[in-house]
Amino acid sequence: MQPGARALGTLALAAAAVLGREAETDRAPEVRGWRRRYFRRRCLSVMAVLARRVFDLHHQIPLTWVCLAKLTPHLGEQKRTTASLFCKLTIAAGGGGLEELPLVVSKKCVQELESRANTVHCLPEKQRTSVDGGPLTLEKVVCTLLDMGFSDVHINELLSIQPHASPQQLLDIISEFILLGVNPEPVYVALKKSPQLLKMPVVRVKKRSSYLRKLGLGEGKLKRVLHSCPEIFTMHQRDVDGVIHVLKEKCLFTVQQVTEILYRCPNVLQQDPNELEYKFQYAYFRMGIKHLDIVRTEFLKYSLTKIKQRHIYLERLGRYQTPDKKGQTQIANPLLKDIFRVSEAEFLAKTACSSAEEFVVFKKLLAREEEEVPESSMSKEVEGEEEEEDKDEEEL
Amino acid sequence: MAAPILRGVRELMRLVDFAPVPRRHRHKKKWAATEPKLPASRLALQNFDMTYSVQFGDLWPSIRVSLLSEQKYGALVNNFAAWDHVSAKLKQLSAKDFVSEAVSHWELEAQSGRSSTPPLAYSPNLRCFTFARGDVSRFPPARLGSLGVMDYYLMDAASLLPVLALGLHPGDTVLDLCAAPGGKTLALLQTLCCRNLAANDLSTSRTGRLQKVLQSYVPQDIRERNQVRVTSWDGRKWGELEGDTYDRVLVDVPCTADRHSLYEEENNIFQRSRKKERQMLPMLQMQLLAAGLLATRPGGHVVYSTCSLSHLQNEYVVQGTMELLANQYSIKVQVEDLSYFRELFVDTFCFFQSSQVGELVLPNLTANFGPMYFCRLHRLT
Ligand SMILES: C[S@@+](CC[C@H](N)C(=O)[O-])C[C@H]1O[C@@H](n2cnc3c(N)ncnc32)[C@H](O)[C@@H]1O
Repeated sequence: MQPGARALGTLALAAAAVLGREAETDRAPEVRGWRRRYFRRRCLSVMAVLARRVFDLHHQIPLTWVCLAKLTPHLGEQKRTTASLFCKLTIAAGGGGLEELPLVVSKKCVQELESRANTVHCLPEKQRTSVDGGPLTLEKVVCTLLDMGFSDVHINELLSIQPHASPQQLLDIISEFILLGVNPEPVYVALKKSPQLLKMPVVRVKKRSSYLRKLGLGEGKLKRVLHSCPEIFTMHQRDVDGVIHVLKEKCLFTVQQVTEILYRCPNVLQQDPNELEYKFQYAYFRMGIKHLDIVRTEFLKYSLTKIKQRHIYLERLGRYQTPDKKGQTQIANPLLKDIFRVSEAEFLAKTACSSAEEFVVFKKLLAREEEEVPESSMSKEVEGEEEEEDKDEEEL
Repeated sequence: MAAPILRGVRELMRLVDFAPVPRRHRHKKKWAATEPKLPASRLALQNFDMTYSVQFGDLWPSIRVSLLSEQKYGALVNNFAAWDHVSAKLKQLSAKDFVSEAVSHWELEAQSGRSSTPPLAYSPNLRCFTFARGDVSRFPPARLGSLGVMDYYLMDAASLLPVLALGLHPGDTVLDLCAAPGGKTLALLQTLCCRNLAANDLSTSRTGRLQKVLQSYVPQDIRERNQVRVTSWDGRKWGELEGDTYDRVLVDVPCTADRHSLYEEENNIFQRSRKKERQMLPMLQMQLLAAGLLATRPGGHVVYSTCSLSHLQNEYVVQGTMELLANQYSIKVQVEDLSYFRELFVDTFCFFQSSQVGELVLPNLTANFGPMYFCRLHRLT
């Protein structure tokens, strides 16, 4: 094992992962909550100590500073430089590249770090942050992030996402994601994509993660959701509930299906619940797609506009039929993946067997049709369809 | 004119798509769980799917989607209104007079002597504006002009082709055998060639509509100078009534009206109760064409037209009638080549390239006119 701060960090994270998994197997949420709080505090402590230690080290060796300053002329000018500098410093400390300097961390030192890490968790919160006589400094955050496995390039970027957010906040949020089992890379991507995540109160992030777990989005799955829909953490609970309610109560998906939908089509969370319900109805009644296939084909992730354009086009071409009650059609419908999961060019060439010119016009016409569904027929709908059907029969 | 379009689209959505498609973002409390009895428009579609997929093969899907989508219109400029002013207004909408465009293009080609261009035979003075291929703009509804008549008439631009193909000359005596509601009658008058025009339709309610069209588009003095005569007789008897009389006869027969039958329940020929009538259509069409030919003077011309894609109602009727006239009346009739229309109007319409007898405009999304079949016949004896 590689000695040094980096190794210790890895160890702490590994422990964290184990603890996290343990926590997940617990049924009672209070126990889980307690365990997770406990575990998190412990882990953070380890990191804090670690950071302090590295910081202490560089105080003891001003020479190194000078050396490195010569190598890096922009020293101290901006965070960016500091970060890369610290990266070098840490590598030097861990890898033993500059052996002539009194920088090499001895085994003993590591052991000491470890034992301190193990005891620090029992210290009261206040004491924990003020051991070093101040709040978490930028440098400490950088070190911690490095230890978590972020590259210095990513750290620079992370630090500049929300320049006004406190380093503590940054670290807290990032740690939370790391603890959820998301790797540094996707965490970085999510934060870049959705900087408002860094403004979230940590408590809310925690609450949301435990809620997502309850929905069945464990570590592995959450990674994907976070990746394509980081907003899952910033959204109002009310809005999340709205979507879940529609999926469960209105569309009658099973609990597992809801989990699968969230996992495969995380963007459903950002969709208007009414529109989502309409989309389901469109799939189920209009296209004759059953629940299982709606889930499997990731139908709900496509926009209603795209769905209607492609489906109605095929239908009017005579290439798609709504199955009857027995699920039968007179023609063989194309596979749903060949309708929706292909580029427009491929859709036209292979599925619709039609030209782009025609489809362009069709989309214009369809948009106008949709716009012009007359108000009168809307109010009729509200009154109930029976009347409408009666009327049609009279006309016959 | 906009109202029928809208209604058409509405009906289309209601009927063709089974269930009404509500506005975006709106969800329905309940979707029709039981399928209503098949409406006539559905039956029409089933019928077309069976026959036209065979008749047109790979072309059918593209025709089908066009028939089920909003059709395009042309604005026929009323020559009895301030036509130059009206034309200028239509140009401002960036519509173009497809007739003059086609003709001037043709003449340029002829001058350059590049192609072996046959002499153009077409009815003069017709101005009809359309939007370019792929442009789905709509014309505003027609308005009453300064001269007390409406400024333009909105119609399927392909409906002008039979009138153009009839090749009117100034001073012609013209019969429009099945004239109501009068779009083509109006176009015939717009050529300013008719010494007199007989406009007939069996249905009195429909000749009523024809009268209204004439009243709103043609000044009273022109109507009163006995130039236009509207009647409600059975067209099949015309040969006996006025044989060997007319220079030009338009026989625009009742047919399955393919586009119409897909979105209008009212009067739909695919209603189960009208099955017999539908099966008798080719017979009726032959009788009407025969009567039209008999009413034509020897040497005169007839255009037979339908708004159906069915070859049973198109070339079969033409060929059957020619045989009938040859066998029963010893009258020789010749089909005249109109294939230059394909080239002439290539920018505006999509023609069926494999038509043997007569020309057929296929609906296409980029040029959603038709269907319109037209065949020019020359009565030789
Ligand atoms: C396709 S529509 C004519 C459209 C008209 N030419 C126009 O452009 O507005 C066919 C017409 O034939 C008429 N019709 C049906 N049977 C007829 C008959 N035996 N004699 C004369 N007209 C008949 C119908 O009433 C109907 O109006």
